[in-house]
Amino acid sequence: MPSRKRDAPSKASRRLLAANERELGRIVLDMHDGPVQDIFAALSQLQVLDRALEHDEASQRRVRQAMALLERVLGEIRNFIGAFRPPGFERRELAEIIEGLAVQHETLTDQVVQLTVAPNVGECALETKIALYRILQEALANGFRHSGATRQAVTVERRAETITLAVSDDGRGFSTRQVLAREEDVGVEGGHFGLRGIQDRVAMLGGTFTLTSVVGKGTTMTIALPAE
Amino acid sequence: MTPKVRVLLADDHAIVLEGLRALVDGEPDLQVVGSTTDGTAVADLVVQLRPDVVVLDLELAGIRGTEVLAALRALKEPPKVLILTAYNDGESIRSALDAGAEGLALKTQSPQQTIAAIRQVHAGQLVFPQAARRWLEERAGSGRGGREGADLTQREREVWALVARGLPNSEIAKKLGLSANTVKFHVQHLFHKLGVKNRTAAALKHASAERPSPSPGQPRTGGLSRFP
Repeated sequence: MPSRKRDAPSKASRRLLAANERELGRIVLDMHDGPVQDIFAALSQLQVLDRALEHDEASQRRVRQAMALLERVLGEIRNFIGAFRPPGFERRELAEIIEGLAVQHETLTDQVVQLTVAPNVGECALETKIALYRILQEALANGFRHSGATRQAVTVERRAETITLAVSDDGRGFSTRQVLAREEDVGVEGGHFGLRGIQDRVAMLGGTFTLTSVVGKGTTMTIALPAE
Repeated sequence: MTPKVRVLLADDHAIVLEGLRALVDGEPDLQVVGSTTDGTAVADLVVQLRPDVVVLDLELAGIRGTEVLAALRALKEPPKVLILTAYNDGESIRSALDAGAEGLALKTQSPQQTIAAIRQVHAGQLVFPQAARRWLEERAGSGRGGREGADLTQREREVWALVARGLPNSEIAKKLGLSANTVKFHVQHLFHKLGVKNRTAAALKHASAERPSPSPGQPRTGGLSRFP
């Protein structure tokens, strides 16, 4: 069952989107320059120690426990950086960041992304680019976690001054009414802002949001945003 | 006895260099011949120390990792280069590939993976996430020097060959198992890259590209056949 939302954009909320990304970039950089380097270096040293302790099984076990803990922390940081690092919105074109995101999703999940970006997509306002990227990121993550499908199809097109993004899968589908109404979806969990967040971002920019899903057949989410 | 693989480490975090050096030197088949935190010194050190593999941080201070890579590529006998980075997003993978690195290892994974990747690139493999295959195909294609259509993707080449045989999009779609829209998309890209306006011109270019080129450029890599 389709559901739509349209709202007037406000300059303040547009600025907020860009400011958020700058802040995220700063946090990711801090993680990169500090914890990542230190933990990677510590793990290198522990590997050396592990080898030296070949004849001391008890100590070796402790070292391996410590390594496993640090690797787990690194894994969490990897997910964090993957989810939050802004992909150079100001330097790179829309088609390029979308393609990069598709590759990143495949790298992290082994789920195939069939990507079609129309050659006339061109450039758009920074806020639109940010919104398209974050919405696609969220939609792909949703499709991976809930659909059970092995692949997702992503299409980006431009008609006059509107950019359309469609994400679909042939997975298990769901009742859109129930899911959209669910309060839990409002919260941000593990870096995911959910369908509610997608709709909010679309509304901020004065776009449209359409979600169709058929149980057993799959789901298609289509959003349209003004390019400028 | 097989000589050890000579490794040069370049990373602007001294603590990482210290850890990696200890780890690499502990491996029976590997040997660190030098290390530096100064990105601008890498090319000179390579000439002086003749490493087989350079492990290069993409986020060096003072100079971009990709610039260092370009300088290494210009050497008479370029070493294999393994990029070591905390970022596994599309942009990092893409820039490592475009700059001509043989592989990419992550600082957000166990340093053992870096060690394994050093061996793999030394053995002649390209070590990139499977998801980067579409870009690897492009790179394999672009290795063909100044030939017509050198920058085409594998898919665009297939489409080109069928366009040259006079097939309409619907037939091409059937043959390649793609949608008509996807074929249309590839054809548009193809025309753009070849600098032609219609199918006849594309077919003519195909005929001339099929003839042996007077001075075919040497592909720098073996292309996808070496992909692990």
